[in-house]
Amino acid sequence: MFKKFENAVLAGIQSPIQRKMILFGTLVAFIFSILMIAPTKMVLAKMLPGKNNDTFTIYANLANGSSISQTKQVADCIITFVQQEKEVTDTEVFLGMGSPLDFAGLIKGSHFKNSENVAEIVLNLTKKHHREEPSYLMVQRMRPLVQKNCESLYADTVITFVEPPAGPPVLAAIVAEIYGRDAEGIRKLAARVSDVFKNTKGLVDVDIMQDEIYDTYEIIVDSTKVVRSGVSIKQLNDILYLAFEGMEIAVKNSDIYNDQVPIYLSLSEESKRFTKKDLNAVEIKLSSLKLMNNIGMMIPITELIHIIPKKSNPMIMSKNLHQMTNVMAETDMVSQVYPLMEARDVILNSFSDTYNIEKIGLFNLRLTEKSTMKVYELIWDGEMEVTLDTFVELGAAFIAALILIFLLMVIYYKSYTLSGIILLGSFLSIIGVIVGHFIMDIFSADTFFLTATSLIGFIALIGISSRNSLLLIDFTKSLMSEKGLHKAEAIAYATATRAKPIFLTAAAIILASTLLAGDAVFGGLGVALIFGTVAAVISSLVIVPVLLYMSDLEKHFHFHEKKAVSVFEP
Amino acid sequence: MTHHKPYEPKDFAGKLAKAFLRSPLTIVLGIFLLAIGYLALSIMPREENPQMVVSGSTVIVALPGASAAEIEKVIVRPLERKLKEVKGVENISGMAMDNVGIVNAAFFIGEEKEGSNLKVYDKIMQNSGMFPKGAMNPIIKPLDIDVDIPVVSVAFYSNNPNMSKTELYDKVKDIQHQINGLANVAVTEIKGGNKHQFNIEVDINKLSGYNLSMGQIVQAVQSLSYSVPAIKNRSQDNKIVMVGVKNAIENEKDVGNIIVAQYMDSPIYLNQIATVSGSYDIQNFKSVSISVQDKEGKFTPLQEQVTLSVSKLQGTNAVVIANAVKSELESYKESLKKNGISFVITRNDGERANEAVNELVFHLLLSIVIIAILLVFVLGWRESLIVTFTVPAILAITLFTAYLTGQTINRITLFAFLLSLGLLVDAAIIVIENIHRHYHSIESQHEDVDTLMIKATDEIGPPTNIATLAIIMTMVPMAFVGQMMGQFMKPIPANVPVALIASLFVAYIFTPYLAVRMLKKPDHSKGSH
Repeated sequence: MFKKFENAVLAGIQSPIQRKMILFGTLVAFIFSILMIAPTKMVLAKMLPGKNNDTFTIYANLANGSSISQTKQVADCIITFVQQEKEVTDTEVFLGMGSPLDFAGLIKGSHFKNSENVAEIVLNLTKKHHREEPSYLMVQRMRPLVQKNCESLYADTVITFVEPPAGPPVLAAIVAEIYGRDAEGIRKLAARVSDVFKNTKGLVDVDIMQDEIYDTYEIIVDSTKVVRSGVSIKQLNDILYLAFEGMEIAVKNSDIYNDQVPIYLSLSEESKRFTKKDLNAVEIKLSSLKLMNNIGMMIPITELIHIIPKKSNPMIMSKNLHQMTNVMAETDMVSQVYPLMEARDVILNSFSDTYNIEKIGLFNLRLTEKSTMKVYELIWDGEMEVTLDTFVELGAAFIAALILIFLLMVIYYKSYTLSGIILLGSFLSIIGVIVGHFIMDIFSADTFFLTATSLIGFIALIGISSRNSLLLIDFTKSLMSEKGLHKAEAIAYATATRAKPIFLTAAAIILASTLLAGDAVFGGLGVALIFGTVAAVISSLVIVPVLLYMSDLEKHFHFHEKKAVSVFEP
Repeated sequence: MTHHKPYEPKDFAGKLAKAFLRSPLTIVLGIFLLAIGYLALSIMPREENPQMVVSGSTVIVALPGASAAEIEKVIVRPLERKLKEVKGVENISGMAMDNVGIVNAAFFIGEEKEGSNLKVYDKIMQNSGMFPKGAMNPIIKPLDIDVDIPVVSVAFYSNNPNMSKTELYDKVKDIQHQINGLANVAVTEIKGGNKHQFNIEVDINKLSGYNLSMGQIVQAVQSLSYSVPAIKNRSQDNKIVMVGVKNAIENEKDVGNIIVAQYMDSPIYLNQIATVSGSYDIQNFKSVSISVQDKEGKFTPLQEQVTLSVSKLQGTNAVVIANAVKSELESYKESLKKNGISFVITRNDGERANEAVNELVFHLLLSIVIIAILLVFVLGWRESLIVTFTVPAILAITLFTAYLTGQTINRITLFAFLLSLGLLVDAAIIVIENIHRHYHSIESQHEDVDTLMIKATDEIGPPTNIATLAIIMTMVPMAFVGQMMGQFMKPIPANVPVALIASLFVAYIFTPYLAVRMLKKPDHSKGSH
């Protein structure tokens, strides 16, 4: 076995045809694996895949101005679906506020929730070891059902499914920040972008981060009448607030209770309700409220005011001093990169009727409205931004690692060629990483993504495979210098001898990584290490010897006095 | 190749091997390493995800009566400009609503928390004059992941339908105080439940019937709900005499009997025009409810509950705190049961962390066993045993270093260990393989065992050093990856290099030490491969 391999290597490196075949084959494999990522999308990239959790949360957001009983109705609707799930152990409904804070909620602003139109529903599931269906598939299955039935109860209701993130939390998978100078234009554009998202395959939970505009009534105070009647505007405001909102007008200290006991005054529930939502009903109700003036006369409030209907003031949002609105969407078990590109293409093609579109930066857009010449910008943020940053930074770390190793080798060998061979040999493990992801994708039920952890695995691989080549070259060197072997024989003998420890360490790495490969988050790292190591072994036992043979080893090893040995070269 | 003089090692690998090969302290060192590793494993705080340094502050300024557009101009914009001056701020987001403006400053990931909070606080305080007249004092809320995110939450619910709405809240409030007293608990918070309150619900028809205004009710109630401290006086023989004025309002009856006005000389009592009750806060629109799946697979109907959440101090062990809370709750179980109150633990990050950590520790052990079996087949069982011993020693050093540098045991740390496992047996395998080769080679059969060991170790030293250095080099740039992901993955560049360096030392010290005692020199007359 040992001798056979040695002879095979010896024959291989000395035959020019086989040498060329090996190198050509490597080149083809390399190009093929690169093609798998970029144009053909056979291997998909994503920052981190979904993680199987024991809990997730459903957020229900009704339109602003919705009442708590409407919110409760939506929450009850969701609960009827939750209660059909066998794997749910318990579920909690938080009406009008956020659930106890978690990582995802921290970024999504769950702790600031304090209004009648919001609810959060926490689902606790059975332990993941005893459950067949992973939480992300459960979410995927429940989402359309719940959204179809419960979002339709009231217009503009948005129900989103929030899972604990596998890695760092983000606002949403896809966030389109729409910047502009007037609120009206931003609102219009945001609505259009949100429509595009809703029609893009793979995007779910589309939401615009803005207040809906709803009908309100404004009380206009007739100041002349107020002054003439001997009352004050403060008095008028207080009475209105007392009557309908109610107020704690005094407190009572208590020995028994944990808090001070407030004394709360308001109109009774039956007497404060307006008969319906219109101007008349409001006026009738207000007419029975009276104010006492400074001489003890009772003045009906309606004498002093008139009421006009108006629209509510929506919240104005800004980021880094520019006014903006977010349009957010989650991805349904797919990478956010591809739906984003699709949505962007649709925007580029279909928005040109009213906007002039320019591309800025890598993916961002600048839209100029044709009729008004107002300028808006669409900037992508969220997981996309984080992914891009992470991949760029990890890419930079990868290049830095290559340079560092190259410098280290140059210091050690004092030769650029040898260092180059080691580097090239290590770099080729990328073929294994990509092909490995492709194979895993075929065998796993859902998409197996090339993730940030795959990149980390790849970076670690560079070190591992350069170690293989290094041990090989070092041994060749000592064989040539100490035993005076000929170059081809030395390479072949070294390759064959070193094959055993190389195989051993590779087997150790592969075995240690098989357990990694099963994890949702670190699966990419495991797969990268397993298949990358296989590629690294092939590269250091086949390609590196060929490259070594083709280089002028005696020169690179600095054998000045032993140059004579090469006379035996055939 | 054969040396007849004692072999002089050239590399530090050989020097280490030589120094420890016959030293009686080597075995002590080995035991010591394993002990500190075990110590670190048991006392290091455990958590599911690594701690991320995320800093940010939210400034909330209320200006009652102002519209969103006004708030934007007078509060949000000036505030945003001021916060922009703060160094280290990555994003500033502002929200202007009717009556209130909120500005949030998010710092770059990794900016130190205390310093960042102080900078924002300073900036606002220095410029407190910029807020408009009538604005309330700014509220500055720093973001604190440890304190803000609870590790345990418990839902209490009543099985007794007759229980009043406030009773559950009161009971939980008592428990909250006890749990807050446990070691390392930072914040406890109650969600849901209703507080006591006297409600005066006025009937608008009666109000207008008696020709009264709401203002009169306010005045009447306020004039009677005033309380004063007791009066202290002295008697003639210098004794202190305390005279206290009893509160006029003790219960809802007292409130109901307040005279609001006189009408034709007959008093009008509050309970004539309003329903007065001592009940719960009716204006609170928030509520929390729960539904639990019972053993038959049926869900209980949604019922009111009170959730108590507990968060921990930074750097403390979530597992310990969760267990402490759990056992504290157990002690109330009986008395709660008597009152018809049940509870469910709805979040237990401690348990989750412990499970994740234990699962990974198990994976780690499994990997070691698998590698050991592999080595038995290739190298023989003695060699395999030697390599297998080096692994816990290396992991022990790495764990202890992690403990000293203030890290916690979390998923990522353990993944870093799993990742390095494949790499760190390398050095030992290479050394043992070379020893094995020398042992079985005919050239070295006349050398004594010690020299052979040192030579075999020394020979492989330089390339192993440089190769390990190469792997460490690949990890170094990863430490500089910024953003959330960089923070999240930090345990990998922090621990893998340590493990690799430890693997070199352990391989050079312990592999020859164990080999000399465990391996038998083959009889070359039988021949070898």
